[in-house]
Amino acid sequence: MTLEMIIPLLAAAIVAGTPILYATLGEILTEKSGVLNLGVEGIMIVGSLTGFLVAYSSGSPWLAFAAAGLAGGITASLHGLVCLIFQGNQVVSGLALTILGTGFANYFGTSYVGLSAPGFQPYPIPWLADLPILGPILFQHDPLVYLTYLIPPCMWLFLNNSRYGLGIRAVGEYPEAATAAGLSVAVHRWWGIMGGGFLMGLGGAYLSLAYTHLWTNNLTAGRGWIAVALVIFAFWRPGRAVFGAYLFGGIMALQMRLQASGTQLPSSLLLMLPYGLTVVVLVLSSLGRGRTGEPAALGVNIEPAD
Amino acid sequence: MTAQVPVIRLEEISKAFGEVQANSNITLDIHQGRVLALVGENGAGKSTLMSILAGQLQPDSGTIRLKGAPVAFSNTDKAIASGIGMVYQHFKLVDAMTVAENVFLGKSDGLWLRHGAMNREVAELARSYGMSVRPEAVVGELSMGERQQVEILKLLHRRSSILIFDEPTAVLTPRESEELFATIRRMIEQGKAIVFISHKLEEVRALADDIAILKRGQIIDQLEAAQVTSSADLARRMVGRAVLLEVERPPVEPRQVVLKVSNLRAQGLEQADFELRQGEVLGIVGVAGNGQKPLVETICGLSPPREGHIRILGQEWKRFFSRQAWEQTLSYIPEDRQGLATCQGLSLLDNFLLTTRGGFVRGPWLQRRQAGIKADGLIRDFDIRPPDPEALAWQLSGGNLQKMVLAREFYRKPRLIVAEQPTQGLDIAAAEDVWNLLMKAREQAGILLVTGDLSEALALSDRIGVMYDGTLVSTFSRDDQEQVERIPQMMAGLKDS
Repeated sequence: MTLEMIIPLLAAAIVAGTPILYATLGEILTEKSGVLNLGVEGIMIVGSLTGFLVAYSSGSPWLAFAAAGLAGGITASLHGLVCLIFQGNQVVSGLALTILGTGFANYFGTSYVGLSAPGFQPYPIPWLADLPILGPILFQHDPLVYLTYLIPPCMWLFLNNSRYGLGIRAVGEYPEAATAAGLSVAVHRWWGIMGGGFLMGLGGAYLSLAYTHLWTNNLTAGRGWIAVALVIFAFWRPGRAVFGAYLFGGIMALQMRLQASGTQLPSSLLLMLPYGLTVVVLVLSSLGRGRTGEPAALGVNIEPAD
Repeated sequence: MTAQVPVIRLEEISKAFGEVQANSNITLDIHQGRVLALVGENGAGKSTLMSILAGQLQPDSGTIRLKGAPVAFSNTDKAIASGIGMVYQHFKLVDAMTVAENVFLGKSDGLWLRHGAMNREVAELARSYGMSVRPEAVVGELSMGERQQVEILKLLHRRSSILIFDEPTAVLTPRESEELFATIRRMIEQGKAIVFISHKLEEVRALADDIAILKRGQIIDQLEAAQVTSSADLARRMVGRAVLLEVERPPVEPRQVVLKVSNLRAQGLEQADFELRQGEVLGIVGVAGNGQKPLVETICGLSPPREGHIRILGQEWKRFFSRQAWEQTLSYIPEDRQGLATCQGLSLLDNFLLTTRGGFVRGPWLQRRQAGIKADGLIRDFDIRPPDPEALAWQLSGGNLQKMVLAREFYRKPRLIVAEQPTQGLDIAAAEDVWNLLMKAREQAGILLVTGDLSEALALSDRIGVMYDGTLVSTFSRDDQEQVERIPQMMAGLKDS
């Protein structure tokens, strides 16, 4: 392959990886607080539809983007309601949320299938976009991609160097210790769930506002599940999540390119590639020795003391 | 007692759990600059009383006075705000975080953490109380003693002036215990008040200024440490009768070899070489962490030997564990009664069947009814309370759970028993029951008794083995006075005295 072929492929990898990155970062935030949210897929599709509808009716992509985040947070709050208030099973609640979200989006979105809405356009960053190699790969995208360059370092700083991040990690690791230190487990987990849901909603909106400007059913196509797996691959670290998301974006972009080039391989096999990679990634990360960063109390509900 | 106003006065505190009166009308003073030791058997109400003071539990009646003024602690935060902090037996620390992060958890100001300043402050605090723990170390990698230091640092950082320790030395090595005592003495010099719950009478005598003895929820004796003449004196006051560590040992003629360990090496174990015969008790003593645990785990099939041989009942280790019968074989009585020996959420009957199920199967089915009848009989014979095979394991006290484990294991008519700290954490009456049961079992079996309690080993064993630094240093008869007197030196690794 020549440089002329690799550069567009890498640029496409970043675009394809961006929605997964939003969702993965959201799931990392949620899981760091000790809550497993398997509803990522459902939250993403709700964010995706909300973003499309708001853009379609208001014409403002930024308003639509923000609305999608809010819709993600609200959808995730259902998970908080079940897990934090009613002490329900986190796995079951998350799965239900995925089914609910998908059904919701199919029901309300069907009449919009095929319609288009104003979305984000590529905005090359002056000077940086003209850099050789790096410019076309990194700096000729839409603003939502640039936003994901900022979120991982901010999230790392927040989790490791702010007192609220310390609290969120503490309730995810050992809620009893957090309680003994006077921190409310429920409050910190609410922030983890809502903040995570907000990011997942943004990831969904990227698909309807930037990746395509059209609405179709099943727009997320399993990206939420990939995000759940990527959290493990990333060892719950925002920085590694970037790497993982772009790796998957690359596979998706490569798969499309191969199809377009008229290869003899059956398309269904190519479409399987990212999900096959998910399995490989999970197996590889489970071989990892020592500390993976998995929150010790992940998935464990805590009865509120009365 | 001192004349000054006590910093804390507990007035007629009562607390009941269901029908059990855990505390009844307890009045107790805690003074600045003094160590108060609370002693008493398991279930005497010590922990309940201190949990009330620390705000974990609410009393049914009674008043807590802080420097004379009545206060009410509806939660631990309020108690901590008043300067009362408790170091629990189970540490409440986040393993994945550093020492300093744990200390500052929930207590830092501003949005951003300043790791440098936090580390400096914690280091300063640790140094001023003679603690060795490093502020930037990750808690998950620390020893139990260091973790306890972190718990203490948390309280000191919150400016606690009354510190309560609930059996603090239970998880410590003797060296770590010495360090803890040094820290406590520093705290006393600084005018803090210390309450110290302990089972270990020597410690109480070494550390306490005042002693309060609880029994069945009441204070039966309060005295100054100077009034206690000996540990035996304290024990007598505690139980109301002299504790004779003289267990009835009917003579038994040792018969065939049931366990032969030769040149054994394993993870954490350097060298062990001994024989054990039926009808004989071999007591393994030593400071905890000198290879006792790997020795037991290897013999009981939990981890493989690296070098050397183990023959159990005449069979090679691998062969023995590949097809183990359920009776007339090896019984393991682990130290961890809640974890290894029983399933907390299962009933006594199911726990009974865990190791004896081989005797109650017909084809693929368990004969639960027959098992129930047997379990019922054992529960009555061993006086296990509550006497209900359907009671869940976690509902039993430590002593009753241990009796349940012994009942189950003895039902298998073992020919080799490995008992690991069989009376740890039990009150004296329960411990005596366990000793008598072991002595009875000795007629049928060889017993390997691993214990940290030298007097227990001397009372029960025919022979004593001392472990130091992963090596079984020597084994000798308990009647060999010269060797017996040298046990402390051997435990400390001194070759000649």
